[in-house]
Amino acid sequence: MNFYYAFIVCVTYLTQVSQCERLHGQIYSSIEGSAACFRRLNGTHQMGCSSSDGGAVGIVQMIKDVEDAQWIIKNSSSGPYVAVVSTSLFQSVINLLIDDPSNVAGVLLYDNGTMRPSSFSQESKCPNEYSAAPGSTCSSSGETVWNTKGTGLLRKDIPFPIFFVPDSKTDEIEKIEKCYNRYNLDKSNQVGVPLCSVQLHSFMYAAVNTAVCLRRSASSAFLTPTKVCDPLGDYNVYYSLFPRAQENETERRPVTFVTARIDSASLFDGVSPGTASSVVGMVTLISTAATLSKMIPVADEKLYANNILWTLFNGESFDYIGSQRVAYDISRGSWPPVNPLSLSDIKLHVEIGQLGGSLDLYKDNVSWPLYAFTGNVLAQEIIEFLNDMTQTGNLTVSPILTTNLPPSSLHSFKRILNVTDMPELLLVDHRETFTNMYYESALDVSDTIDYVYHNLTVGSGGEFIPTSELLSKGNMTDKEPQVKISRIANALAQTLYKRVTGKPFVGVVDTSAHMVDEMLQCFLETSSCRLLQAADFMSADQNKADGPASLYVGVATWASTPAVYAGHLLALLTGVHLDNNKTVCDELSEPGFSYYYLRGWNNTGVCIQTTMNFSQAVSPAFIKTDYDFTSNEFSTWTESVWQTMWARVFVTAGGSGAKLAGITGAMATIIAAFITYWLSVNSAVVFASSIDAPNP
Amino acid sequence: MTLAEFFSCTLLAFGPPLAMFAMTIAKDPVRIIIMIAAAFFWLLSFLVSSLVWFIVVPLRSYLAFGMVFAVAFQEIFRYFIYLLLRKTEAGLKEISDNNEISSHKLEMAYVSGLGFGSMSGAFALVNVLADSVGPGTLGLQNGTEFFFVSSAAMTLCMILLNTFWSVIFFNGMDEKNYKKIFWVVGSHFLVSGISLMNTKGLYVFTILPSYIILVITAITAFKCAGGNIASVLNSCFSKA
Repeated sequence: MNFYYAFIVCVTYLTQVSQCERLHGQIYSSIEGSAACFRRLNGTHQMGCSSSDGGAVGIVQMIKDVEDAQWIIKNSSSGPYVAVVSTSLFQSVINLLIDDPSNVAGVLLYDNGTMRPSSFSQESKCPNEYSAAPGSTCSSSGETVWNTKGTGLLRKDIPFPIFFVPDSKTDEIEKIEKCYNRYNLDKSNQVGVPLCSVQLHSFMYAAVNTAVCLRRSASSAFLTPTKVCDPLGDYNVYYSLFPRAQENETERRPVTFVTARIDSASLFDGVSPGTASSVVGMVTLISTAATLSKMIPVADEKLYANNILWTLFNGESFDYIGSQRVAYDISRGSWPPVNPLSLSDIKLHVEIGQLGGSLDLYKDNVSWPLYAFTGNVLAQEIIEFLNDMTQTGNLTVSPILTTNLPPSSLHSFKRILNVTDMPELLLVDHRETFTNMYYESALDVSDTIDYVYHNLTVGSGGEFIPTSELLSKGNMTDKEPQVKISRIANALAQTLYKRVTGKPFVGVVDTSAHMVDEMLQCFLETSSCRLLQAADFMSADQNKADGPASLYVGVATWASTPAVYAGHLLALLTGVHLDNNKTVCDELSEPGFSYYYLRGWNNTGVCIQTTMNFSQAVSPAFIKTDYDFTSNEFSTWTESVWQTMWARVFVTAGGSGAKLAGITGAMATIIAAFITYWLSVNSAVVFASSIDAPNP
Repeated sequence: MTLAEFFSCTLLAFGPPLAMFAMTIAKDPVRIIIMIAAAFFWLLSFLVSSLVWFIVVPLRSYLAFGMVFAVAFQEIFRYFIYLLLRKTEAGLKEISDNNEISSHKLEMAYVSGLGFGSMSGAFALVNVLADSVGPGTLGLQNGTEFFFVSSAAMTLCMILLNTFWSVIFFNGMDEKNYKKIFWVVGSHFLVSGISLMNTKGLYVFTILPSYIILVITAITAFKCAGGNIASVLNSCFSKA
């Protein structure tokens, strides 16, 4: 030991100045930026991963091919192992490891941006299968499935922890590989030698199922409340073209219900990009709403007898939390809280479903074929709607008549409100099976739709460059996703205009691909983008995370950002901008409107009058008293509580150091004891010359 | 493997001092008091050297700088114990019901040296032992898994050296033999200097010279206490 090193170290520690590296820092190196798989529970099962209380320690084994995984299970001499595997091999080895986990301590999954697999989805083959409406034929065990590439890992109880290292953190994998190459390459000799190892810590407090964990959460030990799980949930966002607050029971305007979803999911905490799973649909809805609000000023509301109600559902990945709650609240007449909607008010339900999956397929084409699932009766309203849409936008929207609807909020309305004859339409870009190969996974990133941000200047009043100008100037080509999405939004807006006013739109308002470009950047690349900065509260500080927000719904006790972002964007892009300062703005209270004092385009603050509002997206299962969690009526998802999640790499001792210390320690002690004994017995003789007392 | 490492390293570093304590000190309360007092003096020297280290900000990152002050202050405080013990000798003799106490002039030197060394050993090793519990060991950046055993061996060396240094130091002060004092201070600097090489991971090259110095110091201390080969043979002979 470095004697004075320890001394310095000790002083360093005491004075909180860390100029000298602690021994701990030389032994361990934490794997930064990794995201852990965690545990979720539903009414009957637990799903996801958990490590043991102290974390799982395993010897590093880089998985270069399937044989390496088989070697861990069958031929390894030591163990347990942590398999370090890339996303391209993950799907082929994970089931091997799960089926025989006795020698597997955990899995460290890393993403290599240059070598992505052609498909990657941990969602089941039939997402939300058990919350599907009658008429659905998708069955995970059957032939016809939506998500053909789904492995269902998201709905499995995994016996070991899994950590995900994103593409931006490849240096962490290089660090592990360097250590692996130094110690672990000799596979035949792994007993009694130092080995490169990894510790994964992600201990989950909850277990069994939602009912059990809620019961445990309600108990308290020694007056300390313990909580082991939280219900999933967040907020839905809704906004009506015209305020509905002053309408009464008799003269209520019928509405067209236009919906999309906010959330996506993945196996890993904080990694839910959801590009083609949800973002494109959500951006299409917001763009459409923004366009329509320019076509029909809210001041003209008295002229029209129809209204549009836009709603963004949250938590749809987990048995339609958001839409189930809205449907349940409509059934008991309490949504929206002001002037609740009744089912008869809804004349048409248009869901903007999963869009974007086929954008990569059609990246060299101007066209982007869409499909409209309409139930098995083609109502007049729908025929009209589709006709208007195809004509105004020069799009191909093929109707598909079937009761087997892809996963969407329509299932919730059909199930909970027993809707049978309401005209409904689900707009997607796939036919029998998903075109999105990364459905609800960590790899559903902006590359899947070939999105490239253009970084064009937004005018000081929030003016976007019209699509036609972008195309004529060559800023964008009409094969780009921004342009394609803006065309759909534009066609939808014009179709909805006709539904509200009864006549085709003749003005010059157009959905700008520039706006779509900016909005996609906010949800796909970074939350500190122009639009979200302008849509933020004036009072908020401007520090936002570098990356995009995770679109995972999260737990109900903790509001997550995506719904807030979406709501604020709707307010900013559709609301009326008033010339008021903050104090006046805060005092305004016209019924039916909310007032937000946002940052605005030039950071000076702007008072926005909007009908946008938030409503709780927590499953009815958690508000109904005495709900039977096994009844499968509503979503029962909960998420386990955990304390910390971390991973670190280090070298484990082979044991020769301990053996050496043990042997020399025992010998030294015996020798010292012997000499001391001998000297103390014979001290009178040995040290005779210098003893004061006379020698007896 | 990691708990084994912790216990075996503890045994290596503190086993011999513990045996010495149990056989020579534990039975006499006055000796225990002296030992604890010496340990306290080591702590004081540690406090002063850390203050110096803390005040002189620009030299903090240089290990050698801190080391020089630490060694100097330890030797100064060894002198303080010497002064204290020689002043209180008579008093201690009176309160003790053991007549044998202080029958040998260097007995107190041995007891205080062991206390001084044990405390320094405890401080040197406690951080290392805390990390030896695992699950990791050195090797990710530099060093090997033999770091812990060599730390323990080095700590044992320092504890024993401190014990013998005290004996030589007290004897040197009594006899006004400044060569002995010089050897104590000089070898203390030398061993500490050698230990700086540990940053390069050359454990054998620090432990071996340190133990050679330990053997020389032990023989010197033995001689200072009045032992010699003849007396050893004498004791063997008288036994036989």
